[in-house]
Amino acid sequence: MSATTAASARTGVPGQSMLAAAGRQLRGLKILLPFAALVALWWAIYASGDFSPQVLVSPLTVWQAFVHLVTYGVMAEYASTSLRMIGFAAMLSMVIGVPIGFAIGVNRYAAHALEGFLRFLQGISGIAWLPLAIIWFGFTHTTTLVIVIYTLIVPIIFNTMIGVRAIPESYMLALRSLGASRLRMVKDVYLPGALPSIVVGLRLGMGYGWRALIAAEMLVRKGGLGDLIFGARTFGQIDRIITGMIVIGCLYVIVDRLIVQPIENLTIARWGVLRK
Amino acid sequence: MSNATLAPPARRRRRGIDQLVWRLLPLTPFALLLAAWVIYWAIARPNAATLPSVQDVVAAMWELAVKGELAQHVLASLWRLLLGVALGVVTGVIGGFIVGLNRTISTFLSPLIVFFNAISGIVWLPLVIGWLGIGTALAVFLIWNTVFFIVFQNTVLGVQLVPQVYEEGVQALGGGRWETIRTVILPGALPYILTGLRSGLGFGWRALIAAELVGATTGLGQMIFGATEYHRSDIIIGGCLLIGTIAIAMDRWLLLPIEKRTIERWGLVFDARKEE
Repeated sequence: MSATTAASARTGVPGQSMLAAAGRQLRGLKILLPFAALVALWWAIYASGDFSPQVLVSPLTVWQAFVHLVTYGVMAEYASTSLRMIGFAAMLSMVIGVPIGFAIGVNRYAAHALEGFLRFLQGISGIAWLPLAIIWFGFTHTTTLVIVIYTLIVPIIFNTMIGVRAIPESYMLALRSLGASRLRMVKDVYLPGALPSIVVGLRLGMGYGWRALIAAEMLVRKGGLGDLIFGARTFGQIDRIITGMIVIGCLYVIVDRLIVQPIENLTIARWGVLRK
Repeated sequence: MSNATLAPPARRRRRGIDQLVWRLLPLTPFALLLAAWVIYWAIARPNAATLPSVQDVVAAMWELAVKGELAQHVLASLWRLLLGVALGVVTGVIGGFIVGLNRTISTFLSPLIVFFNAISGIVWLPLVIGWLGIGTALAVFLIWNTVFFIVFQNTVLGVQLVPQVYEEGVQALGGGRWETIRTVILPGALPYILTGLRSGLGFGWRALIAAELVGATTGLGQMIFGATEYHRSDIIIGGCLLIGTIAIAMDRWLLLPIEKRTIERWGLVFDARKEE
């Protein structure tokens, strides 16, 4: 290792960038290699037995199904439905949940009163309310949205509350003794202090919410990736199911890694006080 | 609470009342919700299929309880939960130790773990229904799949966070590899494993309810989903409340005490309040 760095230092910039490119390729390989091994294993299992297409299909068939779904625009349609739903739900939950969390968090009694209640709500997963939501709103997007928001908003409220509660009281007293208004307090103490915790809540909520969304889509059957894979079940189209699962996994990883995690890192780097 | 200990004796009576209020405070949201429900029902008289009265819900649950159906559903759900969680914990801990102790395996597997964690649980339902059919095996698989990743990740974290000095200490005294694992790493990782178990059980319960909505013929999830067909909102609401109550009860009386005792016994730095 030290030899290579010394060599690149001697050759100067071009050698270094080449090394960096090679490093990037190596990293890409490191990520892809395990999946290649998995696909090889899957293919070996498929080849070793005589599976009915209702039980297991080869990776090639799945690839063909993927290409088919993408070229006909079906995948884009289902995926965009799901993504729009989770994005909209996340936004609404933040807009509603954070102020509620603040309102609860600034008051010791309110926080104590509602903590158990919020835990109770968290114990009843959003999906358990699905039957009631179906009766109330029918098999519509509203039903799905209500379930996803319910799932997302509880961790956001809860973590906002915890974040506000965790701010050292001396900060508030210091600002108040300098004559800060209520608004200044929210802007300069509560918001920055609670932000890392709020983002943790958002991230958790997205994790729960994405699953709740898929599950709700399976039962509501009005579009979305959950509908795609559950609908394919009815016709025994394993290739479509596996394609859908892969897309669901990839989208979640992308949303989590490229949107939510950077926000989390940013807030923690900027205001970071507490982390799990 | 803590400043109450410094209060002068003259205020002891008042402190007693304060303490009583403080104790009862967590019940107020439940009481308020119940009151709102009763008042709304008395004024608006909604259709029983939309929102049943409190008495209807109690009566429906009582009827199910007397017939023995309720116990049957609860036991079916709990049995699946037990099987799924037990499997998830055993495989998660073993897997977590193997991966946590071995850097090569850990780097190789980590992309796979990120991906499969993203699709853990309910996403597998359409595929696995084809393999296992409807019933206990399906629900157990989905719970296992959910619990495994949580326990696994916590175990890996716990194993990796055991300070090297302790291991070296035992090794210097002539302890072998196995000895080190048994006397150093296992106790060191135990608090993390139990945190994993605690949140795993919560997630497992959620996954179970979701799985039972479509993937079972008995169980609480099936009870509420089956009630949708007959627009029996009373059973759905009663069922949801029961689901929440069971979740809270398990957490309070089963997991919190175990976790507390472990932390007291082997406690590393850890904040039990923020497990969610």
